[in-house]
This record gives sequence, C-alpha cells and structure tokens, in this order.
Amino acid sequence: MLKMNNISKLYQTEMVQTHALRDFNLHVDEGEFIAVTGPSGSGKTTFLNIAGMLEPFSSGEYLLDGIDVGKLNDNQRADCRNQKIGFIFQGFNLIPDLNLYENIEVPLRYRGIKASERKRRIEQCLEQVGLASRAKHLPQQLSGGQQQRVAIARALAGEPRFLLADEPTGNLDSLMARQVMELLEQINRDGATIIMVTHDPELARRAPRNIQVVDGQLADFTLYQGAQNLKNVAGA
Amino acid sequence: MLEIKPIFHALCRSKVGAILLLIQIAITTAIVSNAAFIIQDRVAFLNQETGYPEQDLFMFNVMTFGKDIDLSQQFELDEAMLRALPGVVNAAQSSSIPLSGSGSASSFNLKPAPQESKSIRSSYIFIDEHGLDTYGVKLIAGRNFTEDEVTITNSPTERTTNVTVVTQALLDELFPEGDGLGKTIYFGDLPLTIIGVADHMKSPWLKDSHPNNVALIPYIQGKTYAQFAVRTKHGQRAAVMKQIETAMLNNYNKRVINNINGLDQLKDEYVAADKLMMRMLIVLITILVLVTALGIFGLTLFNISKRTKQIGTRRALGARKSAIINYFLVENAMICCVGLLLGIIAALLLGQLLMQHFSIAALPPSYIAGTAIMVFVMSLLAVFGPAKRAANISPSIATRTI
Repeated sequence: MLKMNNISKLYQTEMVQTHALRDFNLHVDEGEFIAVTGPSGSGKTTFLNIAGMLEPFSSGEYLLDGIDVGKLNDNQRADCRNQKIGFIFQGFNLIPDLNLYENIEVPLRYRGIKASERKRRIEQCLEQVGLASRAKHLPQQLSGGQQQRVAIARALAGEPRFLLADEPTGNLDSLMARQVMELLEQINRDGATIIMVTHDPELARRAPRNIQVVDGQLADFTLYQGAQNLKNVAGA
Repeated sequence: MLEIKPIFHALCRSKVGAILLLIQIAITTAIVSNAAFIIQDRVAFLNQETGYPEQDLFMFNVMTFGKDIDLSQQFELDEAMLRALPGVVNAAQSSSIPLSGSGSASSFNLKPAPQESKSIRSSYIFIDEHGLDTYGVKLIAGRNFTEDEVTITNSPTERTTNVTVVTQALLDELFPEGDGLGKTIYFGDLPLTIIGVADHMKSPWLKDSHPNNVALIPYIQGKTYAQFAVRTKHGQRAAVMKQIETAMLNNYNKRVINNINGLDQLKDEYVAADKLMMRMLIVLITILVLVTALGIFGLTLFNISKRTKQIGTRRALGARKSAIINYFLVENAMICCVGLLLGIIAALLLGQLLMQHFSIAALPPSYIAGTAIMVFVMSLLAVFGPAKRAANISPSIATRTI
C-alpha cells in the first residue's frame, strides 16, 4: 500500500545541509498498524510529513496506493491527501471557530461531497467516537481527550485507507491516552492502515509493528505481536 | 467551493475584527459616495459654460481724481481709443463684471412698484450698445440698442432709458409662454421694453440663485470709479493688457488704472474656495479609501498570522491553494457586503443631512452604487495579496508545534 524506496530529504540553507531522511526504505501493507519511534530530531516527523504528502522529498521514490507521489503537482497532492489519508495531530488541530460538526465537515467539503452525505458521515463518525450529542459544541468546550476523538472523527469521515497519527496521545493524560489508543486499535481492526509516530514506548508496544528512526534512517524493522512483546518485556 | 455557511458561523463566533472592518467599510462608503457627488457637482460648477470667451476678455478699473473733465464724455473717448488699439475687438464701460463676484442685482417686475406682480431676480449691467459684442454674446432675437437709446449722464438720478436686452433665461422666467419680446418689465418703477434677447450669459455670481438671469440696460453714468471690459482677438490679450495702462493714461492722466485681470482670472478667484474644497475632498476620499484598503490588508495579514496552523491544517486535510484564497476572499466579501449595506444606509442619511443643512442636491443612487462597487473591488484587491500568501503556507505546518 505504501512503498518508500531510498527516500531522502535534505534541508539546505546557505551555511548548512541537513539530511532529515537518508535512503529511507519502508513498505507498508494494507491493514497494518505501525508505530514509529525514535529520539527527538531523528526524522520521525519528516517521515510523517512525506508519508502524508505534507512536504516534498528530495530524492527517491514514494508510491501510495500505486500512485507515484513524486510526480503529482500541488493540486493533485491536495486531492490525494483529501481522499486517501486521514490525519491525527498531536495538538488536535481543530479549528476553534467551528463547532464539532463543522470541523469534521472541513475535509468533506474539500472533496465536494453533498450536504446530505456529509451529514450522514459526520453523524456516524461522531457516534463512533462517542460524541454524537456534542455536535454543536466548540472545541474549547471539550476536554483534550474529547478533542482528540473529534480529530479522529474528522480523520475517519473521509473514509481514508490510511491514517497518519502524529503523537496522538502526546497531549493527553494516561486514561485519555488509553481511550484514544483503544479507538485507534478498533479503527485498525475495521480495516484502516495506521502509521503512528510516538515517543511513548508503552503505546508503541501495543502496535503490531514497530519501526525506529535514527538519524534519518530506519534503524530497526521488527514485527511485533502485542502479546509476545509483552512476554519478552516481562521475561527481561 | 464556497464555504459560506461555516465562514459565516466562524465570523459570528469571532466578530470583533470583522465588526471593526465593516464599520470602516460603511463609513468609507457613506463619506466617499457623498464626497464624490459633491466633487462631481463642483466639477460641473467649475466647468459650466459661462457664455463668454474668457480667454479673450479682460477687465480693468479706473479711479479718476482729476476734476477738469466731463467723466461721461471722457469714457466715451476712452472706449473709442480702446477699440482703436491693435488686437482689440471691442470695449465697453461696464457697471458690473460677470463672474467676478461683484455686481448689481434687482427684482424685475411685470408691473411698476409698488404694485404687486410677478417679480424675478436678475443681475443687471449698465452698458452701451457695444456691450453684447464686447462680451462676445450673441443676440438670438430682437435687436441690440442703438446709440441713441443709450443714456450718457453724470447724474445718478437721470434715468431716461426705456429699453433693455435680457438673457433667454430671464425672459423665460418672466414670460414662460414665450411671448416676452416686446413686452415691458419694470426695474423698480422704471419701465423697460425688452427689445432683444441675448444668448446664454452668466451673472457676476456663479452661485446666485438665478445665475443665468442678466439684463443689459443702456445707461452710462460718469463716475470717478468705473470698470471697463475689453475683448481682444484670440491670443492677443496679454499684449493688449500690457499697454492698457499707458494707453489710458495717455488719454487722460489724472487717474489710476488698476486691477487689470483676465475674465478667467477673475473667475478663478471667485471659485478659489470651491476648488480648494474640491481638492480637499479628493484628498479626503483618497486617504479614506487607502486607510480602508490598508485596514482590510492588515486585518487579513493579522488573520493569516493568527490562523497559520489552521491554514496548514486545512491544506493537510485536502484544501487546494485556490480553496484557501477563496476562503479569505469569501470571508472578506461577506464582511464587505454587510459593511456596504450599512454604508448605503449611512450614505443616504448623510446625503439627506447635507441636503437639509447645506442645500446640496439629493444624492443620486448611481453615486452610492458606484462607490459600493469601487469599495467592493478595492477590498477584494486588498485581500488578494495576503490570501495568496496564506495559500502558500505549507501543509507541513500542521505537524509542527507553533
């Protein structure tokens, strides 16, 4: 579903060249749930940005659902993001002047979906994240966990095949983090492919597959089964 | 795709900036539409047809202190000398100078005073049979005075004159049925038969309630203070003006010749305040429009910097650059439309106030519509640059902590 072959990302100023990603290779199959970990500045966010077509890469090849992303223009990338990818951000990134319904509606409007269909999907997604009764509330009237659930609903509303989560529990307490994680796991069981960037090793261990980014490269590539992983940790 | 509904809801929830902007747009629309109308009114006033070849006419004053001449006869000699000067078409002593802001006016009645009758205000000029030609005004009906009909006297009470030439405007007011030529009108109790009708000519006061009403009366009084009007051939006025003082003093030297001015100069002095007002209004509306444009520009820039992450998020969620530009254009257009609606109401109210207190004509709707369109286009232009800048915000900003 997602193939990155020798992807490099070079940030260049007059004085310095920085390789954020260097010969990065990754293949992700449909339905996978991958946790991406790594120290600060290792290139996790750059990887996420490139995977989500939020910024261009310097060299290499990136195929998403068979589409060669490097050959898309700005409008095509925007359309592709809209149709194939759902984003969940660390800071939720809800629009403060719009209520929950309108926030979830944003990507659907960009896709040109009719109002009646938008309504159906928004209500369904709000129901899925347990906030159906709060549709008219503004984001600031909700707790952090609830806001992140709205952001997940927004990501799900477009029925993407691919969810990218950037530290989705980074701003949440442990109880809320667990609830959000359970929601993501449920979404994954329902068929969505998820790539989650996280600092939290406990959360990472819950993902079936972990990858680690160090100095812009894939440092480790291990297939985890959640239960086995827990056993290993207990054994150690 | 136009996001009118969510933009409207977002504006309702965050309305301070929008309200300030729409007030600014309303004030601009109200003031600019009224000011533009006043400017247009002043331009029409300044460019109105006076009926005179202003570039070829000049005037001067004569202050006589010599006591050894018959003043009325002297001025006859002066007129003859002036007409003989090279480059001069005609010259006449004139009791009032048109467009100068200084002259005489009276009521002209259909019956002698004190009998009650129709009474029309008009300026009048005591002048001889050369008057019409000197001022370059055509006679369109009847006839001009004959030399014999001109009263030349040194006595202020001797009034043997009994004819007049009036402008078409005055004739039409006195006799709306169009049968005025040959009729008698009364200048106080002095009967004057209308023997001729002059084409368009303005009174000494362009701002008079009846600026086109002029009566020429064939009467020359010898006075120590007199004014002359001289028409020259086209392009020769300056040369004639230069020699006028010498020529007049050569004719008789116990007098002072001054205020030698072209008719266009006199008119310019008379309308100087109007020109100043017009220029100030132009400066005012230019500043107002610029301030409003800068306000819109600034508010949009502020909104963009405030919403950088939001714009990045929208881009991440699939907004094309054009959708971001449209967002700001639609948001601005919505604020602008409400501002214009208020501005149109304010413009009408302001127009009524000006009409009541300053006798300005009613503000035509076309001025309000024109101003509204101009303000709308200006606001879209002001917002386009910042909106384009917003569209260039990278979607990757959505994943950064700012």
